[in-house]
Amino acid sequence: MSELTIALAKGRLQTATLEHLERVGIRVAEGALASRRLWVEDREGRYRFIFVKPVDVPVYVEHGIADCGVAGRDVLLESEADLLQPLDLQIGRCRIVVASHKSELLSNGFGILRVATKYPRITAEYFGSRGIPVEIIELAGSVELAPVLGLSDCIVDLVETGRTLDENGLRVSEVIFESTARLVVNRASFQLKAAAVGQLIKALELCAKEEA
Amino acid sequence: MSESLSKVPNGMRYYFGAEARLRRYVEDTAMAVFDGWSYEEIITPSVDYHALFEFGMGHREAERAFRFTDTDGKMLALRPDVTSSVARAAATLLARRARPLRLCYTGLVFRQQPPTHAQWRRESEQLGCEQIGSAQGSADIEMLVIAVEVLKRLGLNDRFSITLNDVNIFNGVAERLALDPLARDRMRQLIDIRDMAELRRFLAPHDREAQAGAFARLVERPGKSELLEEARRLITNTRSTEALDRLERLWSVVETLALADQFEIDLGDLSGLDYYTGLTFKIYVEGIGTRAGGGGRYDHLTANFGRSEPAIGFVLDLDALTDALSRSSSFAPAQESERATERLSGDDHGALFVRALEHRANGARVIVDDRGTE
Repeated sequence: MSELTIALAKGRLQTATLEHLERVGIRVAEGALASRRLWVEDREGRYRFIFVKPVDVPVYVEHGIADCGVAGRDVLLESEADLLQPLDLQIGRCRIVVASHKSELLSNGFGILRVATKYPRITAEYFGSRGIPVEIIELAGSVELAPVLGLSDCIVDLVETGRTLDENGLRVSEVIFESTARLVVNRASFQLKAAAVGQLIKALELCAKEEA
Repeated sequence: MSESLSKVPNGMRYYFGAEARLRRYVEDTAMAVFDGWSYEEIITPSVDYHALFEFGMGHREAERAFRFTDTDGKMLALRPDVTSSVARAAATLLARRARPLRLCYTGLVFRQQPPTHAQWRRESEQLGCEQIGSAQGSADIEMLVIAVEVLKRLGLNDRFSITLNDVNIFNGVAERLALDPLARDRMRQLIDIRDMAELRRFLAPHDREAQAGAFARLVERPGKSELLEEARRLITNTRSTEALDRLERLWSVVETLALADQFEIDLGDLSGLDYYTGLTFKIYVEGIGTRAGGGGRYDHLTANFGRSEPAIGFVLDLDALTDALSRSSSFAPAQESERATERLSGDDHGALFVRALEHRANGARVIVDDRGTE
């Protein structure tokens, strides 16, 4: 049986994470990724990788079903999961921003800002700490559409290249924070599988330094 | 029945059958061990003033209590913790008793939890011991030995790990760096999540004697006696050094008791309640992703009640232990007991129950079968 189960985020981060692992000598069997199987082992059988939605990475790791995981800082801040975060992998760099097509944000005349977002907690925390009352409209996707159609005054969303914003006539008005992918570890696994977790951290650390 | 009456609130649940038997078994096992070390059971009120828990656990933890108001407008809470209440009893009701007081309990605690959180239960059961009035190192060891005995008796022999730390090691370093409370909290948080890169960046401007950078190396991961030796070389302030002395003495006893395989030194373990003042420890059991318990020294807590004295205690999380046991294939006690059962029936209820009472008087288990009667 594999020593560690590692949860990886499907989509944006998946390729970057697998490349990163490959650089430290952890390779999954060829062809395994092409299939629709949701878990694969590395060639040496030391690690089992499970592929889940990004927001589910902290869930699997916090419950200890996965010992470790790779997730963006945006996802971690939104989830508030109680996890160890020993390593910034310096990959999957992006920004969480406030974007709108108006130059002045508080211009709807009501003194309350309507914000569409996939990140309700981050949004509430950011505006709350500035004393700006907001009405948060939680959406699951295509957030850029909301201000265009008048559902909201602005959005809080993740931006990589800024193209989607451009194409929908939105501009970044504030950067909330920069996000990169983190290695996260379950608190019990950190103790009970200390040797295996320590090795993984060491290997990834060297690679992360080169990346930075 | 309407939907609202059928539904059980989030984080609340029933236990029955094998699960209920397992809980009772774990409870009985732990309480028998506590009794074996001369700890006397104490039963504390389920409802108490919220202020008690604010003093006892700190504001942040106490905020998670279920709160409501008393008829006089004072804020009450369903107890989120038992230790605060035990400490108050020690300083008031039991003030005249000889020291050290040895008290133990099994009790339900109630905490608000976000439903997505891994420890999703909002009602959970704690098994705990408190020793009040002794500052001796032997009290620290006694706590650890009792916890180990409970885990071993439950059959978790090689499946647990206990980490040791002393809050004064961190406090001494933070003092030396002259951090303001906010910065100190940030440092503690970074260590708690083991974000070493960020910790080094954060410490760089404060690091005139290179002590902080060295500290980052020490808190990175747990170790055994070699970690204490390294800590000795790298940390020089008095407060931390005294704490290291105590940990070293404790570790040598751990080695004498042949428990070194089950213990680790973890100087990065800084999470948990604000009330700890010395030794802290956390208990992990294989098969569950959350902690199975923990404890430590809380020498200032009883001062809140007008009588300052040293104290140490720990809790085991019954839910975590039963999870670990029910996932273990080798575990049997949850089976329904094999004891023979007398099945009785008859139309003459008088005679039927006379027979049933005879069997009961002999200690037999009976089941009154109403099929075939009437």
